[in-house]
Amino acid sequence: MMHIRLKFTKGNEVKYISHLDLMRVFQRALRRTGIPISYSSGFNPHMEISFGAPLSLGVTSNAEYVDLKLAEPMDVREIQRRLNDSLPDGIRILDGIEIRENHKSAMSVVSHSRYRIRIFMENVSSDELTKKIEEFAAQKEIKIMKEQPKKGFELKEIDIKPLLVSMKLIESKEDIYTIDCLLLSGSSGNLKPGLLIKAFKEFTGYDIQSIRINREQVYGLKNGKLLDLLEYESAEA
Amino acid sequence: MKYDNTREFIYEELLSKVEKPGRYIGTEWNSIHKNPETVDIRFAFCFPDVYEVGMSHLGMKILYHLLNDQQDIFCERVFAPWPDMEEVMRKTGIKLFGLESRDFIDSFDFVGFTLQYEMSYTNIVNMLDLAGIPKRSGERNEGHPFVVAGGPCAYNPEPLYDIVDFFMLGEGEEQLLEVMELYRKWKSSKGTREEFLKMAASVRGVYVPKFYKVDYNEDSTIKSIKPITEDIPGKVRKRVIKNLKGSYFPDKIVVPFIDIVHDRIMLEIFRGCTRGCRFCQAGMIYRPVREREVEELVEIADRLIQSSGYEEISLSSLSTSDFSKLNELVERLVSKYKSSRIGLSLPSLRIDSFSLKLVQEVQKVRKSGLTFAPEAGTQRMRDVINKGVDEEDLLNSVGAAFETGYSSVKLYYMIGLPAETMEDIQGIADLTFKVVDRYYRVPKEKRGKGLNVTASASSFVPKPFTPFQWEPQDTINTLIEKQRYLQKAIKKKQITFNWHEPYVSYMEAVFARGDRRLCDVLIKAWELGCKFDGWDQYFDYEAWMQAFKDTGADPDFYAARRRELDEVLPWDHIDVGVTKKYLRGEYKKSLKGELTRDCRTACTGCGINLLQEGGVCK
Ligand code: SF4
Repeated sequence: MMHIRLKFTKGNEVKYISHLDLMRVFQRALRRTGIPISYSSGFNPHMEISFGAPLSLGVTSNAEYVDLKLAEPMDVREIQRRLNDSLPDGIRILDGIEIRENHKSAMSVVSHSRYRIRIFMENVSSDELTKKIEEFAAQKEIKIMKEQPKKGFELKEIDIKPLLVSMKLIESKEDIYTIDCLLLSGSSGNLKPGLLIKAFKEFTGYDIQSIRINREQVYGLKNGKLLDLLEYESAEA
Repeated sequence: MKYDNTREFIYEELLSKVEKPGRYIGTEWNSIHKNPETVDIRFAFCFPDVYEVGMSHLGMKILYHLLNDQQDIFCERVFAPWPDMEEVMRKTGIKLFGLESRDFIDSFDFVGFTLQYEMSYTNIVNMLDLAGIPKRSGERNEGHPFVVAGGPCAYNPEPLYDIVDFFMLGEGEEQLLEVMELYRKWKSSKGTREEFLKMAASVRGVYVPKFYKVDYNEDSTIKSIKPITEDIPGKVRKRVIKNLKGSYFPDKIVVPFIDIVHDRIMLEIFRGCTRGCRFCQAGMIYRPVREREVEELVEIADRLIQSSGYEEISLSSLSTSDFSKLNELVERLVSKYKSSRIGLSLPSLRIDSFSLKLVQEVQKVRKSGLTFAPEAGTQRMRDVINKGVDEEDLLNSVGAAFETGYSSVKLYYMIGLPAETMEDIQGIADLTFKVVDRYYRVPKEKRGKGLNVTASASSFVPKPFTPFQWEPQDTINTLIEKQRYLQKAIKKKQITFNWHEPYVSYMEAVFARGDRRLCDVLIKAWELGCKFDGWDQYFDYEAWMQAFKDTGADPDFYAARRRELDEVLPWDHIDVGVTKKYLRGEYKKSLKGELTRDCRTACTGCGINLLQEGGVCK
């Protein structure tokens, strides 16, 4: 028996597939590779595989995580190589480590996500945009109407201010701007970057077109430090 | 925002605006991508329904890879864009595209449709319109693709005669490649469209409607259907693969990203059926019966599992129980895949105590419910349709199921069968009650908890090439009356009764036995907004009736009229192998309630063995 955590990309090629679809993609890829994955016991056995924080449809990522339980040990590099041969374009295993048996699941330790949001906008200078972002983030409250999928997409007003840790303009090039932001992500609070942009749009009245949203990193909080989910497992408690 | 090319525009702009972008990604595992510059023939394989339905279809999977195995052919998949996608496509001027390359299909060599059900016809018209391809064959010129069609509904091609350039009848594996070979020749000869159609017509199973002329009698029935020149065959005979052994089956299948209707490996164990149920078109048109060998099936399954990573294999055929080596096959597959947790499912199994054992051996979710198809409620009616089960068989089977702990069964019935009376309808309720009683006869400690019997009644649609092709369909009012009666008669808390609005069945009956005059109705209906007619939320009966009115056609003439046995039928120039003489005999026997035995034991003379391939029936 062996536990593995892998870090992978969800590239532009697969940004439109849902979390559920992604799980199926991994299960089938695993079956194609012959990696000795472990199955749960019971009436309806399923692969012992679990994912980190789900990504919204349309968002790409350089930092997704999946935990596997193997029935027999296997070299992590070998797993990485086999999976990379068997996964569709856009999904690449970047790294992986063996983790303790009693690890916390990737899903449960996620607390923050860092995103890069590329937007397209005309007739706004980067200085002006920088200023607006500062003003926006400095507000006491940031109220926004949010759809609630579980309640028939009924709208509800929420305050996203406590979920926004930081937001800044990091690049501007011919009407294309890149904004970096750190957002709460996980069970104690979760802000989707799409909603942040919506709020910013309402605040500024700018005609913003969002081009690409990429998750740069996913963190867990340990001893007051934000660690990526591989570091999180290797760091001392 | 500017994009480098249309491919990117579609992906970034359109797909971000639709509900299920996963339908249009096109880069699924095992999908084939070729450089369009390096191929000679581009083929758009179109399924006129949504992705999830089309991708569940075995025939498409086979032919997609068959074509792509040819180096110089690039075959791409196309499904009917869901209305939300269609809307953004029309708004932005994006024409119908192949999923793989996202190139517009109006520049392809072939646009091929598979015809699985009549209610997908308006989607064909809509897809051609979205593609920017003229809807009528005569309006296309050398710069347009050839619009072709095949599949079970192509056996009565007439309602599409002016839309489709040519039809391919029967099993496509060999024929399609022959047509492609002729196309290569034609393309290098720089011939006219007409010339290619002539060449294609020489391939057995190819039907080019424009080379046939239909004359009508004063009473609107058909007088004659004749080829316009001597070099065109008077009858087009369907193609069959003589022997399935070694016949083409792909090593890999496309694995969709999103969940589809049948998301598993479909292993085709045999083609055809010998039971001879008189209402069943599949049972006639897919004859003769040909099995694949167990050894080969196990090998195919193995290759597909390896290349797809699927977790389930489903045996595919018209009647799984009739596979002569079912036990052996199931045993081998189960023992092989047990350790890797690959499931096996056995649909269309006739449930008896033998098969019940099989099911228990393989089915993961054991108590999920079993399906039975008595089709009719009384013995008299079952004899009419030649459904060779009696009440005792059925009750024994459900009894055995209840005794092994099943407590949920589904019963499939049809209403509106030929010569049906209210007694037969009452019979459906009675038989269903007997099933309920059978459950209570099983000792409490042995039976499963919470009996749930689902009875579904569909409306019978008479189909071409069946013994009932001469029969009228019940009128909508009669069908509603029977449904209401049954609904009352069958009321019991353990029984769930399902039925469908008969309006769709009526339209199906019109088009199933339609002739050339329906082509205008079809295009009119599309103009009036009809599409996705197989989907309740889109089917618009009023619009259809308007289309008939506007074109002066009478739907009852097709659905509700009894034909004379010597009437020229719109599909009389198509030869499916089973002879009209045989069907006539079966029809007459049905009126007397006489049975015809399963021809597995001894030939009953349907005529299929006289096809060129010959000798396929022992
Ligand atoms: S030719 Fe005879 S054996 Fe063959 S399918 Fe027809 S009836 Fe059956």
